[in-house]
Amino acid sequence: MRVTQSMLANNSLRNLSKSYANLGKYQDQLATGKKINRPSDDPVVAIKGMFYRTNLTENEQYQRNLSEAYTWLENSEAGIEQVTEITQRIRELVVQGKNGSNSPEDLNAIGVEIGQLKEDLIGVANTQVAGRYIFNGEKTLTAPIGDNGFTTDADGKKQYTFTQNTSSYNVEVSKGVQLKVNVNSQNVFSKDLFNVLEELESNLTDGVGILENGDQILEKLDMHIQTITSERAELGARYNRLELVDSRLSDQEVIANRILSDNEDADIERVITDLTIQESIHRAALSAGSKIIQPTLIDFLR
Amino acid sequence: MRSTFMGLETAKRGMFAQQSALHTTGNNIANANTEGYTRQRVNLKATEAYPSLGINRPQIPGQMGTGVEVDSVQRVRESFLDIQYRSENNKLGYWDSRANALQKMEEIMNEPSDTGLANSLDQFWQSLQDLALDPTNAGARSVVRERGNAVADTFSYLATSLKSVQGDLKNELDVSVKEVNSIANQLNNINKQISEIEPNGYLPNDLYDERDRLLDKLSSLANIKVSYNPSGGNALKISEGTATVEIVDDNGKILGTLVDAKSQRVNELSVTFKKITDDNGNISDGLVEGVKIGSKSISIMDFNSAGKVSGLIDSYGYSETLSDGSVVEYGLYPQMLNDLDTMAYTFGTAFNAVHSEGWTLNDFDSDTKAPNTTNSKINFFTLGGVAFGNNSKGAASLIQISKEIQDSTNNIAAAYYDGKTLPEIGNGKNAVQLSNVKNGILTIGTTNTTLQNFYEGIIGGMAVNAQEAERLTTNSTVLKDSVEERRQSVSAVSLDEEMTNMIQFQHAYNASARMITLQDEILDKIINGMGISGR
Repeated sequence: MRVTQSMLANNSLRNLSKSYANLGKYQDQLATGKKINRPSDDPVVAIKGMFYRTNLTENEQYQRNLSEAYTWLENSEAGIEQVTEITQRIRELVVQGKNGSNSPEDLNAIGVEIGQLKEDLIGVANTQVAGRYIFNGEKTLTAPIGDNGFTTDADGKKQYTFTQNTSSYNVEVSKGVQLKVNVNSQNVFSKDLFNVLEELESNLTDGVGILENGDQILEKLDMHIQTITSERAELGARYNRLELVDSRLSDQEVIANRILSDNEDADIERVITDLTIQESIHRAALSAGSKIIQPTLIDFLR
Repeated sequence: MRSTFMGLETAKRGMFAQQSALHTTGNNIANANTEGYTRQRVNLKATEAYPSLGINRPQIPGQMGTGVEVDSVQRVRESFLDIQYRSENNKLGYWDSRANALQKMEEIMNEPSDTGLANSLDQFWQSLQDLALDPTNAGARSVVRERGNAVADTFSYLATSLKSVQGDLKNELDVSVKEVNSIANQLNNINKQISEIEPNGYLPNDLYDERDRLLDKLSSLANIKVSYNPSGGNALKISEGTATVEIVDDNGKILGTLVDAKSQRVNELSVTFKKITDDNGNISDGLVEGVKIGSKSISIMDFNSAGKVSGLIDSYGYSETLSDGSVVEYGLYPQMLNDLDTMAYTFGTAFNAVHSEGWTLNDFDSDTKAPNTTNSKINFFTLGGVAFGNNSKGAASLIQISKEIQDSTNNIAAAYYDGKTLPEIGNGKNAVQLSNVKNGILTIGTTNTTLQNFYEGIIGGMAVNAQEAERLTTNSTVLKDSVEERRQSVSAVSLDEEMTNMIQFQHAYNASARMITLQDEILDKIINGMGISGR
């Protein structure tokens, strides 16, 4: 084939610009840390990238949902714990009050303490977390026991408004999986329990000198303690389930991150190696170019 | 008997011929870097020998050569390579314009990234999940509204940007068509000049070069077929004649004549657009409907012809009106806009359906009263303030948050009434269902798929198209370059070669001159040295 100077010059220019294009490609990869910069670089990687990103976002959101679930469960747990302590103390006081050796003043003192403990219980029932009542089902903006709205009946007993909602407050912890994060407050703060406490308080503070219906009250109290305990057990079980979901989500997050990285992140060592190789090719192309543009025959003729 | 001065005449012819060859060599060197210049060669021909045949021919032992003359100055060119070059250049023109259009599209869609539509949908989904956790929280509600706004904005941003690039493509198409016509007119002028020069027995090499250069340029814009029409008169056998340029489709079928060599007229190319009349009676250009070459109309469906013009039409979009009056749209940009419209429409409709079944904060009268049983069926999204109808066209640019939601975040329906227990204010079940719209199976266009998958499909389709266009651009560039190299190998000026020729012609010239000196000496002998014996 006949080769002319202009062909050589064109070729070496073309080779140089091709070489620059490759250098540019590696530069992009190094600068962005990504294998691809636009979908057409590798359609499959691009689509997978979109899919994994969404996966990761979803995972992140479910983890956020989990922390909300933890807040509810832990606060409910703390509430029930206090309720248990309070009811145990009441039981002790009842047992003490049943004892025949109490003077009317002693019984009155016990009655006053029970009254205080009852108020305490109402305080726990009306626990708010971030402005929401956690013991009132989905009725999160209303106190389950309206202590401000009480009325006093003919016997001088306080009448509270009980608006306990027993619906479950659910949190989505992974795709399509709902977890109940509240407790059934009627099992913990039932109107019946407060009736028992009211009765107890009035029996103790009536100045008669003995605790009437002590055994019956104790029996009812034990029944309530049992329901509270079983509610607590169920809460514990759900907490365990939440922890399982939590560890699964953390695992998935690690996996999703790794897959995302495998899919689209550039292998830096390889890119640097390729870049170095390309650089030496480029040097060779430059040097070839400078050799090719040689003096012509004209320079040698006289 | 031969002439005394014959030797002088022969040497003189030699000098003239070699001098012409040297001039041509000089011209080649001078044009070594001229674009489109083809090296020229002087065809030397021995002049007629003496004596020629005839009744009066002298009786001498043999015919004597009488020297040399320049027969013609010809371009060194291989027309087969031109055909190959133009065919590759034609494909390159098509794929390059397509690759450019797709590259812009990829830049607009910007996926996968943290700023694309997929991400704004993901964030919207997240805000709905947050709302489900805390439906009474005004902050969570505002976030849902803003993220919803972001989704609508992203849809309309994409649609608007695509439309603006589509507009640029139309301008480019108009410019390319003008370029085709301008080249056609220049070709026609060259044809005219050639038809005036060739009959006189000349080879208008520079005009040929210019014509080939224009044809090369034209081949990147449209698929052309060139045929030549010989000139009459004293035209040389190796003269090329005038060129007829026809536009052909990819199967070689002639669509129309652009430059007619015989009538020396140009049939200009034009593109016809479907006219759109808007509500105010203004008429604007829609998609491409057909192509005209002169007065000959070609339906766009028959214009399967590579080249930049065709590539731009494919990117900008064209439409076919079917016999039942319905219009089908084709092309990269209309397709993408259509997909986005379908997606926005389906998403908006499905989202509204779930939203209007839910309970807003206002549906709960107050915490003491029983909840409202009649919900107000509020739409979350509208199309430019109007409820979704049956037409998805333009949905991507029109989708926005409804006025009710814009006015008050209380109108976001986060609660759900399952028909059994009346919901309470802390119920976030509808928010969960709203978040599921993104991942639920929907009927989008004609396929049943999730929004996410549909969108991935759109991006995947675009990516594959762009990849194909880029690969074929690279391929046709390589092929074009290699043909160009072979063409250069034949036609380009080599300085070394010209130098060699120069020396060769110079020596021949010098030698011819020396012959004259020799003749001079001979004549000197004859005239001054003979017949003077004894003087």
